[in-house]
Amino acid sequence: MNKTLRISFSLRNTYRVNGILYSLRQLPLVRRLIPSSLYRVRGLKIFANALSVLWEILSVFLGKFLYFITMVAGIGILYEKLPEGQVYLHILLFLTVIGAFMNTSLFNPTRDKYYAVILLRMDAREYTLVNYGYSILKVIVGFLPFSLWFGLQRGVPLWFCLALPFSVAGIKLAFSAWKLRKYERLGVAYNENVLGKYLWLATGLLLAAAYGLPAAGAVLPGEISMAVMTAFIPAGILSLRKILTFSFYREVSQELLSQMMRQLDSVKPEQLSRQQSRKAIAADVSITSEKKGFEYLNELFIRRHRKILWKSSERTAAVALLLILGVLLAFYLRPELKNPANELLSVSLPYFTFIMYCVNRGTGFTQALFMNCDHSLLTYSFFKRPEMILKLFRIRLREIIKINLLPALVIGAGLDVLLFASGGVENPFDYPVLFAAVCGMSVFFSIHYLTIYYLLQPYTAGTEMKSAAYRLILTGTYLLCFFLMQLEMDIRLFGALCILFCALYSVLACVLVYRFAPRTFRLRM
Amino acid sequence: MNFVIEHLSKHFDRKEVLKDISFSFESGKIYGLLGRNGAGKTTLFNCVNRDLKCDGGAFWLEEDGKRREVKAGDIGYVLSTPTVPEFLTGREFLKFFLEINEKSIVNPKSVDEYFEDISIEPEDRDKLLKDYSHGMKNKMQMLVNMIARPAVLLLDEPLTSLDVVVAEEMKQLLRSLKQDRVTIFSTHIMDLALDLCDEIVLLSHGELERVDKSDLDSQGFRERILAALREDGHE
Repeated sequence: MNKTLRISFSLRNTYRVNGILYSLRQLPLVRRLIPSSLYRVRGLKIFANALSVLWEILSVFLGKFLYFITMVAGIGILYEKLPEGQVYLHILLFLTVIGAFMNTSLFNPTRDKYYAVILLRMDAREYTLVNYGYSILKVIVGFLPFSLWFGLQRGVPLWFCLALPFSVAGIKLAFSAWKLRKYERLGVAYNENVLGKYLWLATGLLLAAAYGLPAAGAVLPGEISMAVMTAFIPAGILSLRKILTFSFYREVSQELLSQMMRQLDSVKPEQLSRQQSRKAIAADVSITSEKKGFEYLNELFIRRHRKILWKSSERTAAVALLLILGVLLAFYLRPELKNPANELLSVSLPYFTFIMYCVNRGTGFTQALFMNCDHSLLTYSFFKRPEMILKLFRIRLREIIKINLLPALVIGAGLDVLLFASGGVENPFDYPVLFAAVCGMSVFFSIHYLTIYYLLQPYTAGTEMKSAAYRLILTGTYLLCFFLMQLEMDIRLFGALCILFCALYSVLACVLVYRFAPRTFRLRM
Repeated sequence: MNFVIEHLSKHFDRKEVLKDISFSFESGKIYGLLGRNGAGKTTLFNCVNRDLKCDGGAFWLEEDGKRREVKAGDIGYVLSTPTVPEFLTGREFLKFFLEINEKSIVNPKSVDEYFEDISIEPEDRDKLLKDYSHGMKNKMQMLVNMIARPAVLLLDEPLTSLDVVVAEEMKQLLRSLKQDRVTIFSTHIMDLALDLCDEIVLLSHGELERVDKSDLDSQGFRERILAALREDGHE
């Protein structure tokens, strides 16, 4: 048993270390300093090993800490009218139940399991049990300090703070045992990453119970929460027997791991996104187009990817519309909200940079373009002729702007309406500026994503993303939008700056694409 | 017409994959490119197709003694794993391709005639390419390159994973295509190379070398190739 644990830990460690070294080599400047034989260099290896061990220890606590500070205590602060300890236990109870089926670790097919059980042919039962035991131990150890710290602060009795980690482990065990029994009866292996619709529904209901009930002023009495959670402990103990005696671990592992074998052929998330992109193709061949040439290609592409392009943009627009109507309703019901809302709206335009960033479909569009279209067509020389590249760029730019503009129009017009309904502005000029700025941001993001896609073309023939510059720009875009959110500026100034920037950027981007894309827009090797 | 490569080189990190590639390919011939695993066959193709930037050297086309630059449209490249735009049907892909290249295609046929040429059945022509089998995708890729009539056709192990019938059809296709163009065919399978190709070229030690067949019977030729490849052990 000891040996199994040691082997599996060193296996996990090895690929984590190699992963660290690999990503070190991906950094733009560091790359030149490190030779490709780095996997042999002892010093580096020791360094990466230390990092890896540190990470293992940290991961025991860090995740739990974040969980408590955000999901439990963090959101708990919102319900200030209710007793703190009671809300804390209430949320904890429902989230613990969700965790029991979303986070079993027993039914989570991972890379290390694949290597150990399938490739190295380790004993599946022993491997699974040892690793499962280890992960349950990690749950208990990781929960304990935070259960004590957060619990005692909120007046939860000491005995329950001590019992909570075992309760969390208990319900995980109970759920897993139930699923194992189900496997014995029906032969269907549960995969925690592929939840059926009932479990999604359950997740939704439990989340609603965890956060919605307190919002409505209802919260379970502390005694009941504690009693239910305490009951998880004997349930877990009773389930141990099933888990220890279950005799089909090999079959379950085989099934789970072979499910992801296809994705695992190269074990990379990009394979997954490739599959998702393929799934996004509408199988409906009755979709046709009357156009010719590139317009024909483009129209078929847009229509067969309606689900991920127009549908989601329409959904965003609908949600935005609902929110705006909701706020209008709130104005009607509680007129005293109007004044603060007006003040907020008139300085919060920078905030909308971030919102427009979030609703933009640019990355999804370029990813689908590559995975389902350019990935193959770029291997044909006719597709790479400069005039063809630019022609298609123009068509695509038009399309992506159109797709993103729909929610922008709704949001822009909606903001104007809200501003007007909450008391108006001093200078009527603010309305068109606000509207134009929001639309401008949308156009900017559309152009931005398509431009960097054409200039950096970050994907390889194996559909792997392999451009540090591309990643840096994406992160930079995010950070910039995030920081703009902190900015308070009045509509006219920010709006004018925004429109000016978008116009300049658009011109510059198109010039760059026309100059460089014929050379840069090809498959990466 | 000749396709000439001179002093082409390419390295990754410190490994020199292509050291000094110089060769003159004549049109009308199929060249079999043989090399050990990792010898750099795909790298060579990628350089010629301008997917990879070479470190040095040049290549050009020579017509009637005059040099001209290799343009994107001069190269056709068929990859070992066929890549076709999966959201289109076979018919749509072909229609799109024909429309884009209207000006350059001489004597275009109808879409269905082209399908006949590569024996893709009528019921398959309106299926999405993502539902095509490996062999059918491969045929589509070959067909498009056939219609485009590139001056240089690069084939990276195109027949390896096809069933015997399709492989035979493809061989026939390639033979019928070889007039007026340089065809370079990389493969691991010596029988295939000997059966299909007019010349055998070895890629070893980062250089290209023609294997002279003149005074040998097929067994002797085979042994000479093997001996040359064995020398190219991995350093």
